[in-house]
Amino acid sequence: MNSLGQIVSAVEGYRKFVSSQIRNARDDSRIGEDILKKWREARERIGTTLTPTGLRLPRLALPEFDEPGEITRFLHEEGLPGEFPFVSAAYPEQYLEPVLTADDGSQPNQSDFIPEEPTRLFAGLGLPEETNERFHYLSRNQRNKRLSTAFDGPTLYGVGSGADGVFGKIGEGGVSIDTVEDMERLYAGFDLDQPNVSVSMTISGPAPILLAMYIGAAKRRFGPEVMEQLRGTIQADVLKEIQAQNELIFPIEASLRFLADMVDFCSKKMPRWYPISISGYHIAEAGATPVQQGAYALSNGFAYVEYFRNRGMNVNVFGPRLSFFLDCGLDVEYVALARICRKIWAIGMRDVFGAERRAQLFKLHTQTSGRSLIAADWRNNLTRTTAELMLACMNATNSCHSNSADEPFTTPSEEYARYAAHAQSIVLEESGLFKHMMNTLSGSPGMKIVGNAVEDAILEEFRQIDRQGGVVAAVERRYQRSQIQASGHLLERQIYGGIRPVIGLNRYSSPSDSWPEVHMIRTPREKKQLQRERLSDFERRHAGESERCLDQLAEVVENGGNVFEELINTIEHCSLGQITERLCDIIGKFRPMV
Amino acid sequence: MPPIRILTAVPICDGHDSAINTINIELVRLGVEVIYLGYNRSAKDIVRAAIQEDVIAVGVSSYNGGHVEFFGEVVDRLEAARLQPRVSVFGGGGGTITHEDAEIMYKRGVNRIFFAGTPLEKIAGYVQSEFCKVSQAAYQAGSAAVDSTLARELTLIENGIEQPLAEGAGKCPRVIGFTGPGGAGKTTLIDELVLRFLRSQPAKKRLAILSHDPSIVSSGALLGDRATMIYSQSDRVFMRSMATRGTPGGLSSSTERALQSLIRSGLFEFILVETVGTGQESVPFGIQKSLADRVVLVLPPDYGGRLQLQKIAMLDVADIIAVNKSDLQGVRTAFAEIEARIRGNKKKQTLVLTQANKHRDLGVDQLFHFLFVES
Repeated sequence: MNSLGQIVSAVEGYRKFVSSQIRNARDDSRIGEDILKKWREARERIGTTLTPTGLRLPRLALPEFDEPGEITRFLHEEGLPGEFPFVSAAYPEQYLEPVLTADDGSQPNQSDFIPEEPTRLFAGLGLPEETNERFHYLSRNQRNKRLSTAFDGPTLYGVGSGADGVFGKIGEGGVSIDTVEDMERLYAGFDLDQPNVSVSMTISGPAPILLAMYIGAAKRRFGPEVMEQLRGTIQADVLKEIQAQNELIFPIEASLRFLADMVDFCSKKMPRWYPISISGYHIAEAGATPVQQGAYALSNGFAYVEYFRNRGMNVNVFGPRLSFFLDCGLDVEYVALARICRKIWAIGMRDVFGAERRAQLFKLHTQTSGRSLIAADWRNNLTRTTAELMLACMNATNSCHSNSADEPFTTPSEEYARYAAHAQSIVLEESGLFKHMMNTLSGSPGMKIVGNAVEDAILEEFRQIDRQGGVVAAVERRYQRSQIQASGHLLERQIYGGIRPVIGLNRYSSPSDSWPEVHMIRTPREKKQLQRERLSDFERRHAGESERCLDQLAEVVENGGNVFEELINTIEHCSLGQITERLCDIIGKFRPMV
Repeated sequence: MPPIRILTAVPICDGHDSAINTINIELVRLGVEVIYLGYNRSAKDIVRAAIQEDVIAVGVSSYNGGHVEFFGEVVDRLEAARLQPRVSVFGGGGGTITHEDAEIMYKRGVNRIFFAGTPLEKIAGYVQSEFCKVSQAAYQAGSAAVDSTLARELTLIENGIEQPLAEGAGKCPRVIGFTGPGGAGKTTLIDELVLRFLRSQPAKKRLAILSHDPSIVSSGALLGDRATMIYSQSDRVFMRSMATRGTPGGLSSSTERALQSLIRSGLFEFILVETVGTGQESVPFGIQKSLADRVVLVLPPDYGGRLQLQKIAMLDVADIIAVNKSDLQGVRTAFAEIEARIRGNKKKQTLVLTQANKHRDLGVDQLFHFLFVES
């Protein structure tokens, strides 16, 4: 299984194609004339905006040149927003405010536009009802309820709250989910069948079991037809777990199979669900360089596409269901990383996998760098996050999560979670940088130079992986892991050696190293106990059915049926821990890589 | 002065190993022997390993909460094992562990917590200065549990301190040696064999693993075989990691005596000895195999061609040759070439194809049968 070599050839082929197009535009005056005419027409079609300070601007900034060769280069190398290869943006008017002011100065339909706080804010603490309460609090003023869920350690590892030695971990760092009933409590009071509610779940190892529970919970409340209404994303990126995050529970082969079963099912029956979020974030957090982050996220993405295609799944059916999740830190590569990722993805999907437009889009959620946040002089984290947000928006990310300044210490407090969300609004709504005109800060010479260097470096990583037999073979040889770890160690050494300035830590540290007055959110013992009791109560009530369901699941696993489809039945009577245990009996456990 | 031996791990349901990896490397650089247990490890697994490895301290790196309870459980379990001297517990978790938490943890018996922003040198310096003077003496007969007593005996053997070994218990475990180049999959294969042992043998039957990793004289070592093991984290398995401390050939100069100690303990049905990754010339268990009853050579299919095979001395000595990673390309060629190579030896040698990274691999079943069932 290995398409990376072909991807490299396709990108190189595309560069040659662009050069030849530029030559033609310059050499053939008829083509040149035609391009100039189209360029003028394109410019004329662009609407205008009146800024509050009275400046009239076009809604899209185009370069000033009027030479056919340069125009061709721009259109093919960069592309208009929403046009192949999508370097400037995936969508035409992504961040723009709707036109508020008509040309005659009257204000026709201002009431149509009510801005909204961008809060897909990560939440997860304690028991399902506490996280539920938090969701209601965070989304109280939202028309669009975007609920992003963090799970506790036992849930991430598919372990039941009743398991030996995990008591202290219940509800810490995320919400504890053992059963479909917990899932009902978690999203109680939200209309999961409505278009204004979407849910995201950050979990990979046991993702199919959790999504099956989500479906089960939704069915109980909204009836059996609800599946096609459900909106949201589940992370389910098993390859990055092996490379960086270490939260895998089943062996690689089985993990890929369960994932494909889920993606296959979702692309057919859940048209509004994104069943995988291909993540560079955790790769970067584990210490990878920006180039490694981009290269591994993209190559993992292509590996999934190849695996799904080899199973007979249609790239134009599942392709639009894939989305990406990148980290944005303060290294210079972030000036252009996401732009280049959009380009490589589009070329690879189109030219290697034959994907249509919708399946060519690299749809991106960005999170600011958690690793860049430090404990020393921690309020500086507000500034770090804001600078990272700027870079993410300059790279036209489709959505964003800004970290809370107190995250080096705890799950975000309400206060700092609010500041984090407001930072986004300040950048996108309060400032005039992104809302009036597309490409205001896009395509500078520096951005292009950084982009080219990043692109070359990513292709070089692809070649390395290709030579090892592709992504999965390289994973099994620990290639990506070792590279990420080496970069992580280098970064630490650079920080401790003072080569990389970290303000407040190795430069300009303040004499009083004040520990912040942050409020720690912890789950009390009684709650942990309650979670355990609920789980054993569920298992008791379903004792008559659970064995039969697990046997049925085992049969599907052994006989090669769609495991995800069966899990939707299994979760009615079995807990997460029971299911994981049975699956591990049949297919074994993931052997940790170190 | 023998090297400081400590155990490091990341708690159960926690995969944050970035910090501990960096710390391990720094400690090894400073001459510490670090037995790394890996991530997602229970307090029970950590303490079992601490006892068997007879370490003087346990370092835990916890990043996703529950640290007060977890560190507490580690301390309690260590206390319950009544080890002498007391095993220190230290650790950290970036900003997730507050000063208030640390106060509670200190009261529970944790020795030291490092907070966010602590420089690496400070942690390494702590380990060096706190633990270099700890001395470990033999337990008085009956004053400690059998595993602790055995583990201390092994420590003293490794440190070259002469002592009478326990009287033999009359039971004679089978000693099986595993050798082969680095990356052949020896550790994974052993772990899979352990799974089969645990499932097929009665619950009171135990086995021991003596695992080697390379180190040079008076340097540190990262002893990481435990980290990739799943099934060997069991009370029925006694595992000990040894650094070679400069001894060439695949084993340590203390291996023979350590083996005697394990045999005489009378606790085990089988003793599995894993060498470091070896070269073509090495014959770690001796030509006459005086150190082991059976010797398995584990080879990957990509050993480098037929001519290279001629040079592998172990092919003349091993009882069983396991060509592991049999899913890789070239395995058929490897099988044919090795078969031809050992046919010339004119002695009873068995060749098996295994894929240790596959659950329920039939080749591993076969190997298990040869090693553990056949007499």
